[in-house]
Amino acid sequence: MKIHAAKTITKGRVLFTAVLLALSAVPAMAQDAFPNHTLSMIVPFPPGGVADTTARPTAAIMEKYLKQPVAVVNRPGAGGAVGNAAVANAKPDGYTMGMVLSSISVIPAADELFNRKPAYSLDQFAPIALISADPTILVVHPSLPVKTLKELVALANSKPGQMSYSSSGIYGALHMPMEMFLHATKLKMRHVPTTGGGPAITAVLGGHVELTAGGPAAIHGHVKAEKLRPIVSWGATRHPAYPDVPTFKELGYKDVEYFIWAGLVGPKGMPEAVLKTLRDAARKTAEDPEFKNAMAKVNSPVQYMDAPEFKKYWDADAKRLAGLVKIVGKVDSK
Amino acid sequence: MVETFNNLMLGFSVALSPEILVYAFAGCIIGTLVGMMPGLGPLAGISLLLPATFGLNPIVAIVLLSGVYYGAMYGGSTTSILMRIPGEAASVMTCIDGYAMTQKGRAGPALAIAAIGSFFAGTVGVIGLMLLAPTLAEFALRFGPPEYTALLMMGLFILAYMSGGSMLKTLAMAGLGLMIGMIGIDIMSGYTRFSFGLVELGDGVGIVPVAVGLFGISEILLTAGKGEMPDVQKPKLRDLIPSREEFRLSVGPIGRGSLLGFLIGIIPGSAHIISSFVSYGIERRMSKHPERFGNGAIEGVAGPESANNAAASGAFVPMLALGIPTSPVTAVMIAAIMVHGISPGPLLIQEQPELFWGFVASMYVGNVVLLVLNLPMVGVFVNLLRIPYAYLYPCVLAFCILGTYSVTNSMIDVWIMLVMGGLGYVLRKFDFDLAPVALGLVLAPMLELSLRQSLAMSGGDYGIFFERPIATTMLGLGVVLFLFSIKPLIFKTKDWRADVGLDEAKG
Repeated sequence: MKIHAAKTITKGRVLFTAVLLALSAVPAMAQDAFPNHTLSMIVPFPPGGVADTTARPTAAIMEKYLKQPVAVVNRPGAGGAVGNAAVANAKPDGYTMGMVLSSISVIPAADELFNRKPAYSLDQFAPIALISADPTILVVHPSLPVKTLKELVALANSKPGQMSYSSSGIYGALHMPMEMFLHATKLKMRHVPTTGGGPAITAVLGGHVELTAGGPAAIHGHVKAEKLRPIVSWGATRHPAYPDVPTFKELGYKDVEYFIWAGLVGPKGMPEAVLKTLRDAARKTAEDPEFKNAMAKVNSPVQYMDAPEFKKYWDADAKRLAGLVKIVGKVDSK
Repeated sequence: MVETFNNLMLGFSVALSPEILVYAFAGCIIGTLVGMMPGLGPLAGISLLLPATFGLNPIVAIVLLSGVYYGAMYGGSTTSILMRIPGEAASVMTCIDGYAMTQKGRAGPALAIAAIGSFFAGTVGVIGLMLLAPTLAEFALRFGPPEYTALLMMGLFILAYMSGGSMLKTLAMAGLGLMIGMIGIDIMSGYTRFSFGLVELGDGVGIVPVAVGLFGISEILLTAGKGEMPDVQKPKLRDLIPSREEFRLSVGPIGRGSLLGFLIGIIPGSAHIISSFVSYGIERRMSKHPERFGNGAIEGVAGPESANNAAASGAFVPMLALGIPTSPVTAVMIAAIMVHGISPGPLLIQEQPELFWGFVASMYVGNVVLLVLNLPMVGVFVNLLRIPYAYLYPCVLAFCILGTYSVTNSMIDVWIMLVMGGLGYVLRKFDFDLAPVALGLVLAPMLELSLRQSLAMSGGDYGIFFERPIATTMLGLGVVLFLFSIKPLIFKTKDWRADVGLDEAKG
């Protein structure tokens, strides 16, 4: 009986010591190794969109290099503002990242325009890596008698304010490039905003508007079937899937360049070491053939840039878009 | 015809392969379970499952997701009928008469008719998809903003037939719904309206949290507020099977609902939501006893349930024939095949015959699976009602909160649901009908968008509605409907409301 009791005490003591040891080990481990638990990647758009189809393979391959699961969390709402704000206000411990789109720079500019309390500001983010950047491509309904940009501009000039184009929504990813084009050519057209990239293309397919700017992946099947005619691209160089489509730059419009990019960002203030781990993981991911293959399938080739380069690119892009939002201005003040 | 038959054989050879069949079953079961979660509907179901399909082959992915889609449509009607909780906008109308039937101890027949109606509508839909997809799709593309506006205006006019109470109260509730629908970022100008500085309200108020709150939570509150608890139901086997009379009454609504739903479903946009509202309105208008509606009329379950399932199949027509996402659900489906490197477009059927015909055949299979799965389950579901309210309702409440939160990981939606629950309780205490609120909320953003898009297209000229034959015809029909519904107000003749003792003067 006595022996038994003593045994129990010993057992208890061993357990106690073990727990104590384990507890004291946790902070030590946390300092040693980032990451030591699940990370999350916030996607500010619903499943199935560009941000989502980029984030899923990125997260899956990053797991390989971070040795911890990376969970994709969709936080859609208000054109991305909800999810972007969630990343901006997350604890900067490196466990929360966001896969954001270029529209992240437009939202604060629009907030300023309308004197709204901004949902977030751009200096709340720390860039990690640029993952992809797709130029938009101008497409017209095949019944429109134009094959080149010159013919399109001439036609639009012959009936100012009569032609109409669709977009993914005001100040949206497909509205900005169109405004850039109209500003550069001093053309006037009617703007028909819709609720997303899909409906914007549908409006052209049905012949309800004459043209729109479309993502290379979204328009691909329709261009192949000759239901949409590509005219010109906003890219810096010709898009590999559309080798016959010239760029605005080639045609002499030097400042007309626009990309829908997807980048990995975190909240500002992450420790240097943590940021470095994430940057390394992102670089290895971008170089991974499995990842390249997954991105090629969604017609969105990898366009990797490391944090410093990405920051420079983003700053320039944000400045250009903010300027453009000011030019577009409020709709009813026109 | 021979070609179609051969293609269909190809499809069945794909759909009946063991692997695909397993996924079709799994999809239907997952979908039914998801649909039964309050607040979780088809869109939430397939969005949550989408990432899991990225590792599968595209045919399996689309078969699995469409199984979930159908299953969730059906599962949503189960909670609507048993507990008055709509899983999605389309089952709002099912709540009304379905739940009234449950209270009368006729939950079994309501569920059975919903299953049979869904099966019939699903089959009509898939036959339509198979035979007419390319032709119909071209027609559907001609529906631009002006046509859409006209269609939605017709939707507004059926409001008059939606509710049994006083016209004034119906219009007041529709007004409330339309006003809630104004919240959010104005699509044309980018202004944020009535959002109280909450970023989350930028996209407006979702129909699902509102419907769950107004219908489901308010019912729980009302039951709790009763002096004595209603008796727990003990359904007998005989009560599970629809009577001959119930079958007879359901045939017409199922047929009409299927046709109507399919036609509305093929139109690009979110108009398919209104198919169940329109079906309810039509059935009520055509009924010899409209007073039965709202008090457990089987037609009020059969029509809308068939319409929303047929619309679900209809939505696949433009998606598959033209490769355009016509609704949030089909957008997710397109993403599911795009990640496999298949670019959606008009050539999809020619380039991917196995995908298209396999999908068509798996829809036949899925419909049969759902019927086989759900008819025997009616007994099990109905027996859920045996659980005493003191245990059942707290669980339901917890599931409502969980379901609503998980759709977009947003607490705001949960608050909206709870506030709407309180509002619904008060309004029902004052005898207001809540269906018009839901219809108003569904219609407001769509109607506003399409009207303003039309005017943007024409540079502000209202003439655009009279230059386009489809829009003009529909508006003309709408005006006729409108005149019919205000006739009693002008000529002081008897309305059907008066015939059945529902006129405000009497009521």
